[in-house]
Amino acid sequence: MGEPAIVVRGLRKRFGAKEAVAGIDLEIAAGSLAGLVGPNGAGKTTSLSMMTGLLRPDEGQILIDGLSVWADPPAVKAIIGVVPDQPWLFDRLSGSELLEYAGRLRGLAADEARSRATQLLDVLDLTADAKRLVADYSTGMRKKAALGCALIHNPSVLFLDEPLEGVDPISADVIRRLLTRYTSSGSTVLFSSHVMELVEQVCDHVSIIDKGTIVATGTTEQVRGGKTLQQAFVDLVGPRAGGEEGLSWLGSSSS
Amino acid sequence: MAWLLVQLKVRLLVNALRSSNSAKATFITSTIFAGLTAIATFLLLSAFRGQAASVYVTSVIFTLFAFGWLILPIFVFGLDSTLDPATLALYPLRTRPLATGLLAASATGAWPLANVLGLLGVTVGLASGASGLIIAVIAVPLQVLFCITLARLVTTGMAGLLRSRRGKDLAVFLFIPLFVLYEVFTQVVPAEAAGRKLSAASFHGLDSWLRWLPPGLAAHAIQDASDGHLGTALLRLALLAAVIVGLGWLWVSMLSRALVTSDTTTQSSRVRNTALPLARFGLRGAVIARFWVYQRREPASFANWAIAAVVMAAISIRALITQGGHPAFVLASAIFGAAFIGYFHSNAAGLTGPPFVLEAMALTGRRELRSYFAGQNLVLAVIGVPLLTLVSFGLAVLAKRPEFGFLGVAVGLAGLGAALALSNLLTVALPYPMDKKAGRPMRRASQGYGLSGFLGVFGCLIGVGLACVPMIVAVVSTSATPATIRMPVLIVVGAVYGYLLALAGVRIAAVAVESKMPELCQAAIRSKL
Repeated sequence: MGEPAIVVRGLRKRFGAKEAVAGIDLEIAAGSLAGLVGPNGAGKTTSLSMMTGLLRPDEGQILIDGLSVWADPPAVKAIIGVVPDQPWLFDRLSGSELLEYAGRLRGLAADEARSRATQLLDVLDLTADAKRLVADYSTGMRKKAALGCALIHNPSVLFLDEPLEGVDPISADVIRRLLTRYTSSGSTVLFSSHVMELVEQVCDHVSIIDKGTIVATGTTEQVRGGKTLQQAFVDLVGPRAGGEEGLSWLGSSSS
Repeated sequence: MAWLLVQLKVRLLVNALRSSNSAKATFITSTIFAGLTAIATFLLLSAFRGQAASVYVTSVIFTLFAFGWLILPIFVFGLDSTLDPATLALYPLRTRPLATGLLAASATGAWPLANVLGLLGVTVGLASGASGLIIAVIAVPLQVLFCITLARLVTTGMAGLLRSRRGKDLAVFLFIPLFVLYEVFTQVVPAEAAGRKLSAASFHGLDSWLRWLPPGLAAHAIQDASDGHLGTALLRLALLAAVIVGLGWLWVSMLSRALVTSDTTTQSSRVRNTALPLARFGLRGAVIARFWVYQRREPASFANWAIAAVVMAAISIRALITQGGHPAFVLASAIFGAAFIGYFHSNAAGLTGPPFVLEAMALTGRRELRSYFAGQNLVLAVIGVPLLTLVSFGLAVLAKRPEFGFLGVAVGLAGLGAALALSNLLTVALPYPMDKKAGRPMRRASQGYGLSGFLGVFGCLIGVGLACVPMIVAVVSTSATPATIRMPVLIVVGAVYGYLLALAGVRIAAVAVESKMPELCQAAIRSKL
């Protein structure tokens, strides 16, 4: 295992009576493509928000490439990229304007920002829509545009929250290939998801979060323990289905 | 089917009472307002009893109601589920019963009832004799039916557009002329009426056009029947009924087409250039470029500027018409205009919404934060200064004292500097999430943050007012100085003073925001725009 790119120790966050994150410890090696999986409301988004400096934790320490997120937020922000669950985009800009703006915000010279934006739009299969307003993009296109914004300054660590939710298979494949290429050069990706098949396919490291705590973490093989990740996940988190006795009429065509 | 859709509408109305406090408050306020409108309309129409001009006023009021029915569904489109045929497209419904049901649903609620009751004021004001009364009792429901059918036709025809981003933009742009009309109605009309320049007879010219439109036909039918011309009255009502049937037929055929036609969201607009301007000016240039593009492409930004201009004019126009020229009115207008510009930008994080996080992730130092605030202020000044100048001189010319325009500009420049400084400071000190709900063109503080929004408005009004006191003192104390010296000096002093205030605002805000960025990000993320 290489040097850790992300280190989380004793992370806690409470919203009123609910403890959303109840003491997380996590270590992700540099160059990993790591998945953070868990059911809805498990604390994935809250944890990622604290790791990216967007939400102040109640307790705990987070280090990204050795820099403390909450001791020096600007230094950490400069080396990370974030793709949120619902892409936060300036939707009155066109795709190319948006990526150029993200690059210029990150301190790139305008020429360099434009050049990188053009290349990213090409790789993300958005060149044909580069002049369209982001407001008119589909969900998949918005996710890809958000990924472009997050990558334009070549961050060393990339955080993604549900990157493939609502994304069509073609766009999903584009995103998957780009992430694999990105980590092969030594950069790190941590993404949250509840799509087990995806995590099992692409991740070399998996952490399972439930009720604000990490219930399993390690390489994908270790966490699976010889089963499918889906089965390992259900065994750890427990099934949550309700009784189906009342649906005796379902499946009959006689209304 | 009709009964089912009426029940659906009633259920939606009742549920509004059970939902969030703001929805409950909106529903109750709307119902009370409908009741007041009914009473006011009834009294207004009754007040012209025995006057020859009664028919002109009735004709204008009937037309105004039709106009309201034409416009308002565009704003409430996202609020009333029964307005959008797409919500019912999945069910196995035939067009005719569906049309009857939708019409019945439209006629259900406080506003349609308020329309009927209010317009029945014609039975007192315009109608006389038994035949006049009978025709009035028929004409009023026909007029309301015409309004409902017209509204249904327009919303069905525009349903695809209204669901799209462009349609929502259109609703915001439509809000601007309506706001202007409202201000004219509440400011200029009472002033003109008080000055006896406006009376019922003034509507004669307008009526000569409106009498041929369906609402005018209804009004004149009552007049004809009251004058003993029952045949003409019946002919007018028959014509009105034919128009309603025609509109209904058009609507039904449009409805059957709308149920199987895709909306226009798939057709999107393209921009001309691929690159953002101001490439040479680093981060500040990037912020200016983005913010400038948004002033043009974001309808809410455009609406904010229009509202600031209308508020500036509305503050003083009545006084200038009724009381003649006094510089205080032009100065007050400039101060209010500047304060509103400040207020509209006093919560940059909430106003930008979730995309603010994209900027926050990149604003990694004090220098960058200064560039961010200064860049936005520069765009606001580039639009705000000409706007303040134009309105100040416009009002001064209206007061027949053009030189007052210079005084307005001098105070306006100081006020704008103070407003920009306050907007930067409030952005940091008082970040709160904002919502833009369907049917409301403007962004508002989210539920539970009303006090923050209130403090923003009054903070800007009081702050800008106080900051302008030295300039007002300068204006008053130099009144004896020759204008050729006084005006340029005051404008330069106002500009320098405003610039220094804005500069101080940027510097203080850039320092203060460093420790508050997570709070600003949370306000931005929770905004629903």
